[in-house]
Amino acid sequence: MIFFAGIIIIIFILFAVIFLYNSLIQKRNAIDNAFFSMDVMLKKRYDLIPQLVETVKGYMHHEQQVLTRLTEMREKAMTGNLASDDKVGLDNKINEALQSIFLSFANYPELKASQNFLKLQGAINEAEEQLAASRRFYNAAVNDYHNAIEMFPSSIIASVMKLQHKTYFNIPDTAKAVPVININ
Amino acid sequence: MNSFDQFFTHELSESLQPLEAERKKVAQTGIVSFLLAGITIVCFIIAVTGHSTGFAIAAFISLIPVIILLVIYHNRRKGYVASFKEKIIRRIINFIDPLLEYNPRYCIHENDYTKSGLFLQEPDRYQGDDYVEGKRDETFFCFSELHTEHKVGSGKNTSWHTIFKGIFFMADFNKNFSGRTYVWSEHNPQLNFFNKLLSSFAWDLEKIKLESTEFEKRFIVYGNDQVEARYILTPSFMERMIKLQGMMGEGISFSFVNTNINVAVPVKDELFEPSVFSPSDYQKLGDYYNTVHIVFDIIDELKLNQRLWNKE
Repeated sequence: MIFFAGIIIIIFILFAVIFLYNSLIQKRNAIDNAFFSMDVMLKKRYDLIPQLVETVKGYMHHEQQVLTRLTEMREKAMTGNLASDDKVGLDNKINEALQSIFLSFANYPELKASQNFLKLQGAINEAEEQLAASRRFYNAAVNDYHNAIEMFPSSIIASVMKLQHKTYFNIPDTAKAVPVININ
Repeated sequence: MNSFDQFFTHELSESLQPLEAERKKVAQTGIVSFLLAGITIVCFIIAVTGHSTGFAIAAFISLIPVIILLVIYHNRRKGYVASFKEKIIRRIINFIDPLLEYNPRYCIHENDYTKSGLFLQEPDRYQGDDYVEGKRDETFFCFSELHTEHKVGSGKNTSWHTIFKGIFFMADFNKNFSGRTYVWSEHNPQLNFFNKLLSSFAWDLEKIKLESTEFEKRFIVYGNDQVEARYILTPSFMERMIKLQGMMGEGISFSFVNTNINVAVPVKDELFEPSVFSPSDYQKLGDYYNTVHIVFDIIDELKLNQRLWNKE
């Protein structure tokens, strides 16, 4: 009797370990998946930068330096051989540069007349909000994963698997509100 | 409500007077019909239980004019409601926006209701009226009253259970999306344990956890694309949805499907149905006015008319 009870307990523990292990792997993969979707959105943004620079450079004479810096940063980001942390850092800088350009739009009312710009404005707003959404998804996935590796009993399996904490995507206060361009 | 005050005093109250006379006539017919029907039925029951065959036959025959009277009442009531809707409701709607189109006999199409995915049960009886459509800036919208029910049992044991009764609103959403996102109130009776368990298998949906604790307390979100759901439900949009829930009541639910936003607002009473037994006063007409305004509140609160994205 005790023997059978022991076997049942062992089988139960085995299933629990398999379940917890799979769940941790699933959560770790969810982060990779979220990071990938963020990468797709970043690429979409990078694709729009040359169009933005091309469209506004004829109007924004005082921001030429920022526009050049933005182009350089975009080229660096597009090389694709950056570590995750460098990528995040560079993206934050691109974000700041875009913010300063977006703020300057108000000083150039003639941009309003440009159909190209208006179309681009919509595309950028869309890309920025999609990027913000994918960042939030990434942070949600990291939060879920952290809960799993810190909570008992999955924390035991996580320590055996040597699972490490992941970095949250730091959304700066200025970027939390998506830089929606609205010059109308 | 100040502009409505003026509108009521200068325009509506004048049109109400002939309608009020018509209402009184219909109410009188109704009272007489119901009274006679009651008396005849009581006489018939007394005759049957007292085994008085002759009296029972007389009572039964006298039911015929009563039935005719009831049919007359029904038709007059229908006529009164129709002219009330044409003369009063249409004017209230056009007062809010002259470009709105109102069709008192039409409602949101059943296909649109089904496609919204807001209700898990298929309706066996689908009815509605008071369809309104129009544009707020670039945003097309429409709404109507709907009452959907499902049948339980058959034959004599048939009973009808309401799935939804209230205002069903649809609008063109201002962002492009291709997936499906559903926002139900946390206490939505459809979301029982079984359905929650089945969601990932049967609906191809997953639960979407959002960072706003206030929003998570009030709503439960399902979708088939985690990023897209967050693209639609931005932090500011979530705040506006919380505010809207405060205004419309706990039962409000939203779905984002086929580039549309669908909103279901449960309402207990009939929307634009005047009672023949009580006069339509300032208070009642004010309620009708506020009902139409609910839809504008939804559009304005959710800023659906803002076109900041690339959607035409």
